[in-house]
Amino acid sequence: MDFQAYNKILICKDDIKNVKVGGVTVGYQFKIKYPSYRGVFLSCVEDLRFKLDGEEIPASKISFKLNGKDFLLSELPECFKEYWFVRTPAVIFVRQDGGIAPGEHSLNVYMKHRVPYTGYFGQYLVLDSDVTETKTAV
Amino acid sequence: MSDIKIGISLYSFSTEFIHEKLDFEGILKKAHDMGYQGVEIVAAQMVPEYPYPSDEWLAECKALLKKYELEPVCWSAYIDMGIRSDRDLTEEEIIQFTVNDLIYAKKAGFPMVRTQHAISPKIFRQMIPFCKELGVKLTIEMHHPHHPEVPVWKEYFEIMKGEGKGWLGFVPDFSIFQTMPHKLYLDQAVSFGCRPEKLAEIVELHRNHADYSVVANGDFNDIEKHTAEEMFGKFSAPAKMEQWKDMIDCAFYMHGKFYYLDNDDHDPCIPFEEIIAEVKRLGYKGYIASEYEGHHFDETIDSEEQLRHFVALMNKNLNA
Repeated sequence: MDFQAYNKILICKDDIKNVKVGGVTVGYQFKIKYPSYRGVFLSCVEDLRFKLDGEEIPASKISFKLNGKDFLLSELPECFKEYWFVRTPAVIFVRQDGGIAPGEHSLNVYMKHRVPYTGYFGQYLVLDSDVTETKTAV
Repeated sequence: MSDIKIGISLYSFSTEFIHEKLDFEGILKKAHDMGYQGVEIVAAQMVPEYPYPSDEWLAECKALLKKYELEPVCWSAYIDMGIRSDRDLTEEEIIQFTVNDLIYAKKAGFPMVRTQHAISPKIFRQMIPFCKELGVKLTIEMHHPHHPEVPVWKEYFEIMKGEGKGWLGFVPDFSIFQTMPHKLYLDQAVSFGCRPEKLAEIVELHRNHADYSVVANGDFNDIEKHTAEEMFGKFSAPAKMEQWKDMIDCAFYMHGKFYYLDNDDHDPCIPFEEIIAEVKRLGYKGYIASEYEGHHFDETIDSEEQLRHFVALMNKNLNA
């Protein structure tokens, strides 16, 4: 099962951070990286979901921030000219009034992604990266 | 003395690069310190603005290669047919990406681009005038489970030996000679739920050329069956040494692929002794890249230690 070792980089080491705008806490954010040895265009991300403390975070609350832009998760499959370098973290911003409680939280990231080169006999390899880590919110 | 030189694909340091233990310069310095000269870069891995690197990055890349006395040998590219969600790339788009890689390889000072089998014979042939104009060679990697008898390669060899002679070539990856799964693959399979004694049984069945149906209908769990299916699919048609003589004139470069070595003498999975003896006998002149690929399976392995085993093993065989 090629590529599975790269799932270790999916969730970045950084803490979960509450995000303040002009003194108002509007949500929280954390960072993820593309779980591979190489970069790809964002359109190779077929599905991306997050759970905090076991609860699915609604996609409608999420902004995917990369290369100085914000994307809806539903826009990723269309982004075939937006490159995700393997060492550049994407910031996942979640709108939530008041942010989240400081301290430990369980964060799950599930990404279904397509290796964009064809397999040797014609089919694309689609990988599931499913990682849960305990993170500290600050 | 041999005319064969040992180079390095910087991809060998994937673990260190993606875990941010070494940056691009750190990897070039490491390559230099280990005594390497010729380097290959997987552009989609190490070039931050790929596929359109900035002039600043290109200038920095050239300066670093010079600083660490490294020779640019190969710019590795992909045929990413599946970039789009709605359809495969068209011919026009594949040509555009390939031309782009040839241009940026030239700008970065690399004399060769390595691409993939999916380019198609038609597009491969169409690249000839552009390769000549730029003075950059274009090669296709032959990687397992492909081998010389996969039908499309017959067409590729005809083009390489014919109108593309000297400009179009191929890069045999030694994975095509792999006969059995490596240790990291087996360890990972156990971590995913294969019972060690059952996995050993599967390896033995594979070694004895049993049919996969023996596993499919046998007393194995789902992950064991999945592993067996992959193993039987990948390692059951290794290329033969006698095939070298018909294709070596097209080999501009070679990938010394390996997955795990625990010594300087022998790899139980890839027959380096036979490979090196044969390419030497046939008079191959050029680079064989050290290409460590265990990082797909285990990020705790020290890539430098693996590369040192590989270089020792290669030197032993080159000097034999």
